[in-house]
Amino acid sequence: MLKDIYEVEKALFEDGVQTVLRAQENRYRSVDILKGNLVSNSRRETRGISARVGKDGLYGFASIAECSDEAAKMVLKAAADNVKLLTRHRGNTGIILPPSYGTGRIPTNGDIVDAEQKRIIDTCRKIDDYIAQKYPDLDSREVYYSEDSQDRIIYSSDAYDGHLVTPRCYIYIIMSLKTKDGTPVELFKALGGFGSFEDNFSDIEQYYPEFEKLYKKVKDKAEGVYAEAGYKTVVLGGMMGGMLAHEAVGHTVEADLVMGGSVAGPSLGKRVASDLVNLVDFAHTFDGNPAPLPVYLDDEGTKAADAVLIKDGILTGYMNNRETAEKFGMKPTGNARGWSFADEPLIRMRNTCVLPGKNTVEELIESVDDGYYLIDSGNGQADLTGEFMFGVTCGYEIKNGKLGRALLDTTVSGVAFEMLKTVDMLSNEVEWYSSGFCGKKQQMSVGMGGPHMRCKIMIGGR
Amino acid sequence: MNEIREVADLFDNILKDKKLEKYTYVLVQSEKQELNVENGEFKLMRTGYDYYTSLTAFINNKMGSASGNDLSKEALVKLAEDGIGAAESSPEDPCHDIAPDQGKEVFRQGIYEPDMDKFLDRIQECLDSIKKEFPKVKVMAAVGSYDKSHWISRNTNGTEFEDFSGRYNFYIDISASEDGINTGISGASVTVDNLDKPFMELGNIRKSLEAISNSIHTKSIDGKFEGTVILTPGAASQFLGMLIYHYMSDMVIIDGTSRWLDKVGEQVASEKLTVSKKPFDERIVLGERGTQDGFRTEDVTLIEKGVLKTHSLSLYAANKTGRPVVKNTGWSLIVDPGEKSFDEIIKSVDKGLIMGNFSGGEPGANGEFSGVAKNSFFVENGEIKYALSETMVNGNLGEIVKNIREISKDVICDGSSVIPYIAVDGVVISGK
Repeated sequence: MLKDIYEVEKALFEDGVQTVLRAQENRYRSVDILKGNLVSNSRRETRGISARVGKDGLYGFASIAECSDEAAKMVLKAAADNVKLLTRHRGNTGIILPPSYGTGRIPTNGDIVDAEQKRIIDTCRKIDDYIAQKYPDLDSREVYYSEDSQDRIIYSSDAYDGHLVTPRCYIYIIMSLKTKDGTPVELFKALGGFGSFEDNFSDIEQYYPEFEKLYKKVKDKAEGVYAEAGYKTVVLGGMMGGMLAHEAVGHTVEADLVMGGSVAGPSLGKRVASDLVNLVDFAHTFDGNPAPLPVYLDDEGTKAADAVLIKDGILTGYMNNRETAEKFGMKPTGNARGWSFADEPLIRMRNTCVLPGKNTVEELIESVDDGYYLIDSGNGQADLTGEFMFGVTCGYEIKNGKLGRALLDTTVSGVAFEMLKTVDMLSNEVEWYSSGFCGKKQQMSVGMGGPHMRCKIMIGGR
Repeated sequence: MNEIREVADLFDNILKDKKLEKYTYVLVQSEKQELNVENGEFKLMRTGYDYYTSLTAFINNKMGSASGNDLSKEALVKLAEDGIGAAESSPEDPCHDIAPDQGKEVFRQGIYEPDMDKFLDRIQECLDSIKKEFPKVKVMAAVGSYDKSHWISRNTNGTEFEDFSGRYNFYIDISASEDGINTGISGASVTVDNLDKPFMELGNIRKSLEAISNSIHTKSIDGKFEGTVILTPGAASQFLGMLIYHYMSDMVIIDGTSRWLDKVGEQVASEKLTVSKKPFDERIVLGERGTQDGFRTEDVTLIEKGVLKTHSLSLYAANKTGRPVVKNTGWSLIVDPGEKSFDEIIKSVDKGLIMGNFSGGEPGANGEFSGVAKNSFFVENGEIKYALSETMVNGNLGEIVKNIREISKDVICDGSSVIPYIAVDGVVISGK
C-alpha cells in the first residue's frame, strides 16, 4: 500500500477555501492468450499526488507523478494558483462554499495483494488448455486477464480523510464459432470481481460450469437468427437490467448532466416508471453484503451513502458532488470520483441497481407469447433525453412462453422514462456485473445490477 | 525537459547490469494545462506533470512488458525487474520481435511553447460566439488543453527516436433547448498547433452547432425501410474505425475470423473509396513518427479505389501470419474526397437520413451493426425534412462499403483526420 505521509500537509491548507489532497496508485496487470498465443503480457503502475482547491464556485487542480512531501507542497501551491487565475478571469460567481457534513477518518478497508506474472500466465494457460481440449470445435478462443486496482489516500480540509483500496480483477473468456454460411459469431463471459488475484482465481475449476454454459450459448448463437425489428415485449436479463439502471437512467440523474439539461431536471418528484421500479446507487453495501465495487469515501472527502434515485416509480434524487448537492438542496452521497491521481473528481455512479420484485424468471418467460429474452450486453450508451441503446450479444426468441431460437447480435433502444413505465414484472433476484468501465471524460470502474424485468422495447434487426 | 536523455542513459546501464540482451523502451515526460468550462463558464483549471516509462523485454523468444510513471533510479530498476520477470514467465514465441535498426532521428512537431493567454482568449471568444450566434445552444462542457511531451525510445537493434511535440486540443459538449424541450448531447473537437483562427471556424464546430440548433423538435420514422444513409465525417470515422478493427486488425487476422482474411488485392468496396492513414499529411497535427514496433512510421493506403491493399498488422501479427507488417500504428485517417458537394448528395437521395453519430453495439465478427441514429435528420425526395429520434439503423460493415453511392468533395479536417461525407445504400432504417 502507499505510505501515508501526508497528514502533516493539512497544516498547509489555506483558510477560506476547500482543499483535498489525494495520493493514489493505480495498478494494472494484463495477460491475453488468443488461440493459444500470448499476445499481451504486461504490468503497469501509475502513482502520484494531486490537490484540488475550491473557492467561490471555481476550482484549481494540480497533479504530479511523484509521491513525496515536496510533491504535496507543490501541487497544493499550483492548485491554489490555478483557482486564483480563474478568479481573476471570471470574477465573483456568487457561489458560496458548500457546507461540511462532518469530519473524521474512514477506516481502511483492506489491502491489495499482488500476484506474480508467472502465476497469472500459468492460470490463463491452464484455462486456455482446458477450453482447447474440452471444446475442440471452437473456431477461436481467447483468455484475457485484466486487473485494475486502486489505492488512494485522501486528506480534506472540512470533510473526511481515509486510506482506501479498490482491488478488482477479471478473466474474460471469449468463444467463437462459425455459422453454417461461415459467418463468425462470438460470446464472452467475465469471471472474477472485487479482490486480488488469489481472492478470485485460486480455484479456477469452480468456473468450469460457466465455460460449459458459455459454450452452449455460442453453439446456440451459431444457429441463431436475426431479431425482427420493431417494438417488442421482452424479458431483460439481470445484466440488461443493470445496463438499464446505469445507462438509461443513471446518467440522466448525474447532477452535472441535470444542469446540462437532462430530462431528469423537470422530472424530479414525478412518475418516471411503473410503481414496481425502485433504483438505488449503492455506496458499499447491498442486502447486508458488500456491493460489487464498494466505495466508502469519495475524492471530495464525502463519506459515501446510498443514493435513492427512483422510489416506487417516482424520481426522488440525483447523484451529486458537494456543490451540486447544495444547488439542488440535497445531501451529497459520495459520488465525486477521479480515475487516476491526475484526474479531477467528477460525478460518477458506483453500484447502480434496479431492486428486485416478486416473480421468478420462469414466470416472466412463461408470460410472453411472442417476444425476446435478452440476456447479455456488450456495451451501452445514453443521451440527455434518456434515449438509450444497448448492444445485445446473447438472446433468444420467446414463443408461447417458451424459449426458441438464439439471436444474432442486435441492439435495443428506447427512452428511459417511457420504457420504464412499461415494466410490469420483476424477478426476485438481482444479478450484478462489475467488470465494465464507464466513460465520461475519464474512465471509471462501476458496478451495475438488476433483476429480470418484463417490458416493451425497440429492438433492431433485419 | 532535457534530463530524459540522461534518464535513458541510466536505464541502458541498468538493463546492461541485468544482462538483458534484447529490449525496447520508451520514456515520456509530459505536461498538461487544461481549462474546463461548465455550462458556458470557466470552472476548473488543471495542470499536470506526468511521466510514462515502458519496457518490453525479450529473453529466448519470450516477451514481457512493464510500465510505470516514475523516472527515479529505484523505479527504473523495478521496471527492469518487472519486465524481465514477465518475459521469463511467458511461453516461447519467436514471432515477438522488434524492428530492425532504423537509425537515430529527432522529431519536432507542433508548438512547444504555448501561448496560454491567447488560448484562453480563443476559448472565451468561441463561447461568446456561441452565445451570440446560437442562442438555443447550451455548452454543457468544454475543455481546452495544451499538451506537451518529450519522449525518447531506444532498442537493442540500434534505433533511437526522440520527439518534442505540443498541441492545443479543444472540444465542446453541447445541447440545445427551446420552449422547455431539450435535445440530446452533441459535440465537436479540434486539434491545432497554432491559434491563428477562431475555433468556431475549425473542424466541425460550426456545423455541430448548426445541427444541434435544428434538432430540438424531433420525430421518429414510421415503420421500416431500406434506404440511403449519408454518414457525416464523424459517423464515417466511427464506421471506418469499426471496419478496420473487425476486418483488418491483428486479432481478427491472427484468429482467422476476419471476413477479409484472404481478400488482399481484391475489390472489397466501391471503387469510390480510398482510405489511408497518413500521419505526414500537412493537415494532420502531431502524426505518429515511430511505430509501437520500433519502425519509422510511413503513410499507408489500406483501401485504394475499393481494392484492399493490405491488412493493418503489427510486427507480431505479421510474423504470426506470414503477412506484411504495416509501419503505421497510429490513426491519421484520410479518405479521398469525391466529386459532388454535400448538398448535391442530399438532393440525390429518395429516402434516407443524414447520420451525425452512431450509438450502437460493437458489431459482431461478421460485421453486422445495429444501433441508434443520433444527431440525425430524415431526408426524403432530396430534402432534409426533420430531426430524428428513436430511429435505428441496421446493416453490415462489409456490405455498406460496397454500396457507396457518393463521397462528397467537402471534407472535415479536425487535426487528426480528414474525412468527407459518405452516402451508403442498403441500410435498414426503422422507427418506433
